[in-house]
Parts: sequence; C-alpha cells; structure tokens
Amino acid sequence: MTNGLSMTNSLIEGRNMSRSFHGGGFFRRGRSIQAVSDVSISLSRGEAVGLVGESGSGKSTIGRLMLGLMDLSAGRITFDGDDLATLDDKRRRALRRRMQMVFQDPYSSLDPRRTVGSQVEDGLAIHNIVPKDKRRERVAELLGRVGLEPHHADRTPRQFSGGQRQRVAIARALATDPDFLVADEPVSALDVSVQAQVMALLADLRSRLGLAMLFISHDLPVVRHLCDRVVVLYLGRVMEEGPVEAVFSAPHHPYTRALLSAAPSLHAASRRERVVLRGEPPSPANPPSGCVFRTRCPSAIDACAGVVPVLEARGDPAHRVACIRHDIG
Amino acid sequence: MRRLPWIPIVAVGLIVLAALAAPYVGLADPVAMDVAHRLAAPSAAHPLGQDEYGRDVLSRLIWGARTSLGIAFAAAAIACVVGTILGLVGGYVRGVAELLAVRSMDVVLCFPPLLLALLVVTLMGPGASTLIPVLAIVYLPSFTRVAYAGVLSVRGHEYVTAMKVLGAGRLRIMTRTILPNIAGPVLVQFSLAAASAVVLESGLSFLGLGVVPPAPSWGLMIGAARGTMVQAPLLLLWPCLALTVTILAMNSLCDGLRDVLDPHPAARRASWFSRFRRIAAPVVPEPAEPGTVLDVRGLTVAIGDPGDGKLAVRDVSFHVREGETLAIVGESGSGKSLMSLSAIGMVPAGVEVSGGTATMEGKDLLALPAAELRKLLGDRMAMIFQDPGSSLNPVHRVGSQIAEAIRAHRPVSRRAAMTQAVTLLRNVGIPDPERRAKAFPHELSGGMRQRVMIAMAIANGPRLLVADEPTTALDVTIQAQVLDLLASLKRDGGLGLLFITHSLPVVAEIADRVAVMYAGEILEEGPTAEIFADPRHPYTAALLRSAPKDDGPAPEGIPGTVPVPGDLPAGCVFAPRCDKRIDTCVKTRPPLFDIGPGRASRCIRWASL
Repeated sequence: MTNGLSMTNSLIEGRNMSRSFHGGGFFRRGRSIQAVSDVSISLSRGEAVGLVGESGSGKSTIGRLMLGLMDLSAGRITFDGDDLATLDDKRRRALRRRMQMVFQDPYSSLDPRRTVGSQVEDGLAIHNIVPKDKRRERVAELLGRVGLEPHHADRTPRQFSGGQRQRVAIARALATDPDFLVADEPVSALDVSVQAQVMALLADLRSRLGLAMLFISHDLPVVRHLCDRVVVLYLGRVMEEGPVEAVFSAPHHPYTRALLSAAPSLHAASRRERVVLRGEPPSPANPPSGCVFRTRCPSAIDACAGVVPVLEARGDPAHRVACIRHDIG
Repeated sequence: MRRLPWIPIVAVGLIVLAALAAPYVGLADPVAMDVAHRLAAPSAAHPLGQDEYGRDVLSRLIWGARTSLGIAFAAAAIACVVGTILGLVGGYVRGVAELLAVRSMDVVLCFPPLLLALLVVTLMGPGASTLIPVLAIVYLPSFTRVAYAGVLSVRGHEYVTAMKVLGAGRLRIMTRTILPNIAGPVLVQFSLAAASAVVLESGLSFLGLGVVPPAPSWGLMIGAARGTMVQAPLLLLWPCLALTVTILAMNSLCDGLRDVLDPHPAARRASWFSRFRRIAAPVVPEPAEPGTVLDVRGLTVAIGDPGDGKLAVRDVSFHVREGETLAIVGESGSGKSLMSLSAIGMVPAGVEVSGGTATMEGKDLLALPAAELRKLLGDRMAMIFQDPGSSLNPVHRVGSQIAEAIRAHRPVSRRAAMTQAVTLLRNVGIPDPERRAKAFPHELSGGMRQRVMIAMAIANGPRLLVADEPTTALDVTIQAQVLDLLASLKRDGGLGLLFITHSLPVVAEIADRVAVMYAGEILEEGPTAEIFADPRHPYTAALLRSAPKDDGPAPEGIPGTVPVPGDLPAGCVFAPRCDKRIDTCVKTRPPLFDIGPGRASRCIRWASL
C-alpha cells in the first residue's frame, strides 16, 4: 500500500479518470466541457464510499464511468484486475453481472408496463443464472430479501409506493449477485420516514453480501451514516477525501466546510458558525484557473489562481486535501 | 383501468364482421348483371335496389367493404410493422441507422400521398395487389415517425439504462422494454392509418386506378353512381353512407383508444386553478387578533364527489402572523400542499372546499368571487413554487415578467415598472441586475430562477407569501442562500410566510412555528424549538427520529404508509403506525388538545409521552 488510494485488495479501481463532453452540433464543434478531471477512486469488497458534491460536480458521471456505461476520455478503470476499456463485448457483458446500479427516481427506473416479478427476473434470464423453472422461486427469495412479499411479483410498479418501488429496484440489482453496486441518490426522492428504511436495507445488504458500494448523494448526513469513506467533488475535481469521521468532524477544505455548514440541521440554534458561499458554481465549460473553487472560496488568496492544488495527506495518510492553504486546516 | 370505448368497438366490429361474413350469408352474386332491372328501386329481393347493370346494391356494398377494409387493413398492417421496426432501430441505434431509417421517410413524406399513389399505379397497373404496397408506402413514414418519437422519449428513462446495466443486448431492450412502452401511440396510429387508407382506396378506385371493375368497391360504386345521379340518387347515398359510418366509427375508436392508453387521467388535464366553489354556507368569521395575516378555521377539503366522504383535509385551523414563518410539514400524501393552496382560495380542479373560513384583511378568501381573489393574488398575497423553471414564462425576459406583475396591480408606466424590477432583482441578491433583467429564464441557473420568482412574488409588497417546497430542487449551498433571503424578507418587510416542506431540518432553519400534518389533519402544532426539543405526538417524534443527523444514532424509519382519503382508520389516523397505541386510539378519533401556550397535540397520551 503506497498511498491511501491504491490498495492491493481493491475490487474496482479508477485511476486518474477524466471525461469531457463536446458541445456544439453535428457540423460545429463547440467548446468542450470537462465533467470529470483526474479523479481516482478505488473500492475494496464490502466497502462503501460516498461521493458528494453539488449538481454539476460530476458525481453521477463518475458512477456511470465506473460501471462502464460511458467511456473514459483519459485514465483507467480495472475491475478485479481486468481493464474495462480493453474488454471485448462478450466479456464486458459478462462483467455486467457483477456490477449493478440503483437509481434516484424509482418512478422512472421501473418499466411501468411490466410486472415487478418479470423485471427482477430480467437479470436472471439475461445471464441465464437460474434455470427457467426455478426463476420464480428465486424472484420470491429476492423480494423477501428487500422486505417485500412473494405475491408482490405479479403487481405492476403502479401499485407500489415510492419506498416499495425503490425496494423492487434494489431487488432487481441484487438478482445477478453483484459485487459492486452504484447507488445514485437512492433515497433522495423518498419521504424521510421511508428514507431511513431504505438506508437500513442498503447498510444491511452491504454487510451481509459484502457489496462494494459507491454511494452518490448530495445529502451529507446520509453519507455519514452509510459510508466508510467520502470523496468531496467540486466541478469534476476531488477537493477532499478520507474516512467519513475524519472528514465530517475535522474538514480541512474550505468547500467541505461550506457544504457541511450549509446543510440545514435539526439543531439550527446550537450549530457551528455558518459559511454561506457567495454566488454559484462557475460553468464547467470555462472553469477558473488554478483551484476551481477559488472564485467562491472565503479563504482564497492570490496564489490560488496560479497553481492547481494536488491532493495531499493531512495527518492521517487516508485523509487527503487539495488546498494550498495549509495554514487554515 | 379506464372504460373501453365500447360503442366504436361494437360499430367497427360489426362492419368487420359483415365484411368477413359476406360469402356465407346468402347474398346475391355481387357481379351478376340483370340489365332488365337496371336502376330498379329497393324491393324485397334487393333491399337497397339495383345499380346501372342491375346488380344487387346491398351485396356489392358488403362485398365492397370486404375489398376496401381488406386492402386498408393489409396496407396499414404492413406499414405498421415495417415503420415500427424502422423507427425502433433508427431511434435506439442512432447513427447511420437513424439517417437511413428516418431521413429516408422524410423523402417519402415530400410526395403528396395521392401523387405518389398515382405514380406507382400508373407504372404498375391498377388492382388490389398494387394498391396494398402503394398504400403501405404512403403510410409508412407516419409509423416510422411515431415509433421514432416514442423511442426518443422512452430511451431517456432510467429503466432503459437499468436494462443496460443488467447486461441486456440491444435486441432485448428494443423488443422487451421499448416496444411495449411505445405500443400505445403506434396502435392509435394504426387505426388512424387504416381509416384513412379506406378513404384513399375509395378515391383511387373512383379515379379508376384502384380496384378493377367489375369487382365491388365503394369507390367504384360512387364513381358509377355519379353517372346516374339524376335517375337514381340513392345509389350514390349507400356507398357514401357506408364510407362515412366506417370512418366515423374508426376515428372514434382511435380517440377512445388514445384515452385508454394515455396514462394521464383526463380529469387532471383541466387547469390547476380552474374552479372555485364552496358547498357549505359561508360562516361569518370571528374577527382575528391584530397582526394576523391569514386566519384559517375549520378548513375541510373534499376530493371528487363530496357525498363520497373522501375528505383530503379535515377541520384544519391555523393562523400566520406578521413577520412570522409558519411551516407546514408532512410526508407526501399528507395533504399539506392541497390544504395550503385551498386556504388561499386556489382550489385545484376536482377538489371542493366543503367547510371552513380563511380570513385575510377582513375578507373570507373561500367565499370571494374569482375576480376579487385575482386582485388579491400577486398583490396582497403571493406564491413561490418548487420548480421555478416551469413557473416562469420561457419566451419573456425575466425583467419584463416582473414588470408585468407590477403593472397588473399598479398604474405605473412600463419604464417605471422596469426600474422597479431591476431594484427588486438587486434586493433578492442577483448580481449585475441591469443585465440579468434582460435574460431569458433558460439563461439563468435554478437558484437564480428561484430568486427571480421571489422578486416577482414580493414585487407588490404582499403581506402573505406562500412557499411550496421552494428549496427542494436546489443544491444545498444555494438552498442556504435562498433560506437566508426569505428570512431577511420576513424580518424586514413584516411578511407572513407560510412555508410548506417535507424537510424537518429546513423547518428548523426557517420556521418560528410548525404544524405537523398527517393524512389531512394537523397532529401537532407549536413553536418550532419547543416541538423539536419536546414532541408531544408520537408521529412528530417518529419523524424526528427518522431524519438523519450530523451525529447521533442512525435514523429509524416509520413502518407502514400514509392512509389515503376515503380509507382512513376509524380512530386516530396515525394509530396503525404508532408504537404508543392503546385500545382507545383505534376506536375514537381524538380532538386537538390544547397542551400549553400556543401548543396543541392530537394525541390522547400527550401528557405521558
């Protein structure tokens, strides 16, 4: 183990991932947008990593990159030693079985016209995991695992509440026995009373099945409860990363601090000093020079415009921060 | 499931059945001539008379249906299958396939259908075997277009991405996932194309380019009858009638199918604020205490027919004072938005206020005529919504939208209103307001748009601002800015703020008082700090436990779901999910207990919690 990122036993490892999108139309090449720049994330079995940041921070793009749903512009992703980019179609499809996804909106992620049983069964059928006559049994077992009843298999998504739909979506993702799960804001669209149930389910599945989980969220308390490590993104770049306890209780980066203090809290009165950021994130098509956060940073100095800060360990080797102002941490 | 369109189904069914049964029901030979009785009037042997060669008209009409419908359905079916495949492949695979499948159809569309048909028939000679492919080509582009548009909207859904994640191949995704979801519009297009193919077939046959005489066809019959129109006008009537009835039946079948397959209920298409009516006799409200902006008493709202007893909001009372924020908090389905909209007279379609008063400045908003209410809206009271993108007009500059809002209530010049608009934009914290006033809504970010909405809402200095989840769609740092802005408006302007949200932490940030709603009732009410520190209703306590905290124990959920109006428990509405439930809770519905200064709880065990 040379640094906090490249652990020898990691299941999936993304190194220096970058992804840009080209604007403009068919004939005209527009300005390109750098959605993700030089981000490295690795997960070992059974580990949950939270990816936090505001809209436009590139967190969903990273999730899709690591699932191989999108190609990298630069960098490398290896899953269990296999480079995703060099795999042929057949092996890539076979790998699909081992990596799954749960989406934010359970109203859009389930096909409204098919029964939930047949949708949970899809994964079993595509990869021919279970013989046809045993599939119903297996679907019932999967539904049971997420807290639903076997007879729910014959219903359509319409007949379920939001929380139940999200359970169905989780059962569908579990059907292929994945090792790696990307959960893209899986509780954001749910009511708070249901949110807690789905969080508990995810935590339980992770510990029982040894799932590696990439948990994408803008909700910091949720990440704190579910994850081991957290990566804070801003405009496609990593600002700070480390064990959740370290990052949440002693944030070093001014952006992490601002995010933490901006989140509304039940104990508003007794809360620490609030940092309200001025303005809005700049356009990713035209990012600021040097540190991308400097235009909104309360601690920015002239030198911030000159250099792109690198991630450096602060104290704990796993807790790393990309900020040149060592004096404020 | 919506009711099927039975009348058109039966009508089309009968026509198709008649056409299919033509050879078996003992009709006269449709081509047997009887020149002696040419143009004979209707008789027992020939119920609709005989044509210019003495052939039986009824028999020719029914055999003609067989020809016309046969050609039309065959052509529509071919066009449907080929067009759907082209649209599916073009829309899903994209790239070159899209160019070939969809753009080639645009070329076909460039020919007027009749000209295209004329051209092909002239080249290949008339007859049913030519007509079917010709008509199929004419209707092919419409199917491709419909399928293509359907694929483009469906492919963006996450359930399609979910199939990709599962490792499904393209063929599987196209046939199993996308096809069923575009089947509705394609089916409607099929009945549309079949109906119009019947007309086109008749037209071509009339021109002598379709079915070859003496075979029976409606178009041929009309053509022949035209020659003898003066002697036997009835001959013209029968085929025209047959054509009209068939097309009418097929088109209404189309409309019916579209309504059945469209997942959006028809009732909801009506405008959101279209209706305003109250059933109960108006009650003279007691005068509110000074400083009260809005005083709501006993508000009850019924969904659908009030006789059904589906009361979505029951006996809700609350008030908002000057310079105060009252938060209405609840899960989805608790009726919080419905209640708040109804309280300011904006009653959604399909909903009726069946009791209560809502007093503002001495007027009962629930009894005001629509015109009076409109004068108050945007002037004395204003609203902001969750999605600022859809509440701003996309084709007008934001500055002029604010100016219009001012000019709707104040007699000021356009120039003066624009100056005010810029000042307002500056007041809500928009940098460079002179330039931003000239921007269109899509040029602004979500946070900026919400600021514009707030500027518009406060333009006329309202006393009451109703904010329905105004920060839910915003990022957390932007949410903090907007909450700060609302708090300063309330503080400086003496504005009463009614804040609807599902987020307890947001309530803690902004609200002076909070009312917890559940299944259409207020379960607990009081000062925010007191309620959060010492909840006196098990539901409030459970909600607080389920909110994730910065530190402390993991959040706990509340098992079960919110009951729906019309299926409420007999006793306390929360009893089925309550961990403090006793027998009495299940039997009788508790009243709202007064439990201290400004505090109320609807739990019989409030004292022992």
